[in-house]
Amino acid sequence: MSSPALQPRTRVTRIAQEAVDKARLTVVPRVRTRAPRVPFVTLVSLVLVGGIVGLLLFNTSMQQASFTASALETEADTLAAREQTLRMELDELRNPQRVATEAQAMGMVIPSAPVFLDLETGRTTGERTPATRENAIQLQPPAPIKPAILAPEPTYVEVPAAPTVEEQAATDPGVANAKPRKSRNR
Amino acid sequence: MLRLRIGFVLIAIVLSFFGARLVQLQGVDPRSYAVRAAAEGAVRVPLVAERGDILDRNGVPLADSVKGKMVIADPDLTADRAPELARLLSDRLSVDYFKTLTALRGRKEGSRYEYVARRVPSTLAGDTLTELDEAGFTGISLQDDPIRSYPSGDVAANLLGYMGTDEPLGGFERTFDKQLAGVDGEATWQSNSGKGVRIPLRESTLKAAQNGAPLRTTIDRDLQWFTQKVLAQSVRQYRAESGAAVVMDTRTGEILALADVPTFDANAPTEADEDDLGSRAMSDTYEPGSVEKVLTAASLIDAGKAFPRQRFKVPPSLARQDRVIGDWFDHGTIRLTLAGIIAKSSNIGTVLAADAFSPVELVSYLQRFGLGQRTDVGVRGETPGILTPGEAMSSQTKDRVAFGQSLSVNVAQMAAAVNTVANGGVRVSPSLIAGSAVTDDGVTVGTDVATRTRVVSKQAARATARMMEKVVDPEDGVAPAAQVPGYLVAGKTGTAQRVASDGTGYDGSTSVSFGGFAPADDARFTVYVVVHAPKVDGGGGSIAGPVFSRIMGYVLGRYGVEPTDGKPSRLPVEW
Repeated sequence: MSSPALQPRTRVTRIAQEAVDKARLTVVPRVRTRAPRVPFVTLVSLVLVGGIVGLLLFNTSMQQASFTASALETEADTLAAREQTLRMELDELRNPQRVATEAQAMGMVIPSAPVFLDLETGRTTGERTPATRENAIQLQPPAPIKPAILAPEPTYVEVPAAPTVEEQAATDPGVANAKPRKSRNR
Repeated sequence: MLRLRIGFVLIAIVLSFFGARLVQLQGVDPRSYAVRAAAEGAVRVPLVAERGDILDRNGVPLADSVKGKMVIADPDLTADRAPELARLLSDRLSVDYFKTLTALRGRKEGSRYEYVARRVPSTLAGDTLTELDEAGFTGISLQDDPIRSYPSGDVAANLLGYMGTDEPLGGFERTFDKQLAGVDGEATWQSNSGKGVRIPLRESTLKAAQNGAPLRTTIDRDLQWFTQKVLAQSVRQYRAESGAAVVMDTRTGEILALADVPTFDANAPTEADEDDLGSRAMSDTYEPGSVEKVLTAASLIDAGKAFPRQRFKVPPSLARQDRVIGDWFDHGTIRLTLAGIIAKSSNIGTVLAADAFSPVELVSYLQRFGLGQRTDVGVRGETPGILTPGEAMSSQTKDRVAFGQSLSVNVAQMAAAVNTVANGGVRVSPSLIAGSAVTDDGVTVGTDVATRTRVVSKQAARATARMMEKVVDPEDGVAPAAQVPGYLVAGKTGTAQRVASDGTGYDGSTSVSFGGFAPADDARFTVYVVVHAPKVDGGGGSIAGPVFSRIMGYVLGRYGVEPTDGKPSRLPVEW
């Protein structure tokens, strides 16, 4: 029954059948792998909470820093002010008027001409002139003379001395008057 | 359905109100609201620029600025406990109790800002505020208010000037205010606490204050002090009206000291006489008298019209057209050399010598010496002095100008003129500012712009200096008291009649002066002293001479100038 002509045909059919069989698609069973939600939510919430807390902490620390900065600024101001006050005091201490007053009180006098000492030869140049009290310069103007109304003459009250027994006996007024006069001259 | 409509209408009405308000807020005047919003909690702090110091030549402050505070009361908060508070404040800050009380109660109805004290040192103000806080007082606050302090009191006060409450009122303080003042800045930020702590990350601005630049002068503080003291002592001793003295560095023209008496304490200018607040040395003119003979003699020698040994027959008096010229001492006909004329300060001799000059020639020399023009050292109200132009000068006036009358000068002019002779004939323009600075008139002054001009030849200057040495000669001269022991000193006295303040001629008082330099053969310093209207009899030699000697002795020692080994002048004074 198999004719030579048919042979190849059946062969072809078989191959085709196989191919058809092979090519038939089947539905792959659906694999549902449910990713666990918890870690993700936790992560997100952690990031969120972390962010908020971080921001809060950051803000707090900024605020804290601001307070510190404020306090430090005040302190710097105070210190700068103190430094300036001290410098001002120093300048006042260096005031030539004050230095000269102290020096003159110690008996020092500004000379009328300098004399130079050569340290190598030990020789002096310049004329040696004594520096005396007369060389001292007047540092303060003398106190003004007050008008009579502000500086009245002192008034003297003559108090007769209590007469001693002897004087009472002599009753000599001259002796009694002599004593207060003496005290006036003191 | 009806209910729904009514509902919509109601909603529409409410929304239209909102809309109207929105238009009002955003459309009508949005800026003022924005400003108000920003002002809520905004802190605005003025940053006060520190005023530049005025320094002496060694950098020592003559005027410096110190941080200070103003104490401010808010009467709304302080009125209730005013007496208690006033007592505490007047105790601590040394302010008047009653004035403080008025301030705390408010000088005006509804006032919320009253000054209690100005220029309080920061430390004191801070301590006081802390104390008030602890005692539970409120309503007192502090603001920056720098203090200007003059640590040396009256030293150079006439040059420095002084400060008013907020503005400079005189002297360098005013002339160089632009440089000294600086530019105030401002800081703003947002705050939510009463103490002004800033809210981070909120808007804040900072415009830093630019501090004023310091002004360096050529003044030497200690020398200035010494000069003032010595001069003041002399002015007191001779019961004079006023006095001035200048110390100049011969080579550079720097003024090391410029003293005025009477002076004032720059820390308390209101306590001084108003006339004492400026610099009389620079603003008042006077006739220089015989010191000017030095200039006449130097000019004559330079022009080749005289020489030191030239012989003159000096008559007892000299009749010149309208007036008779006399000498300060009685003499018959004497025979003096030119050196003798200078040493004895003979007016007649000087007039005879100056006959070789025409008015134009003499005046042109004097102008080159700097007379009749401002020195522009940077002192306010400087007078140019009076020097009649040569073309307009009569021969009688020329005669008087030759010995220093009928012309007037200020102290710096005269010092610079004498210094020209000291400096070998080259005039260095004087300066008071080291470097340079611009005055409020826009003039640049200072050592950087100092000029040098040759006025007379070196030989003429040397010859004049030789003649000036004779002035302090104990035998031949009139001013032995101006001698500085150990040094060769050249100088010239002056005793000039003073013009009455109403300008009606001479009033009988005199201005006595002494100008000179040392060491005479290699001059380092020129000192010029003038004492106006002494009530005790005396001339330039006896009154100004000793002042010159003290100042010169001090400055030579201070700058370590050793005596030179030059021989004293042996010019003959008579023949």
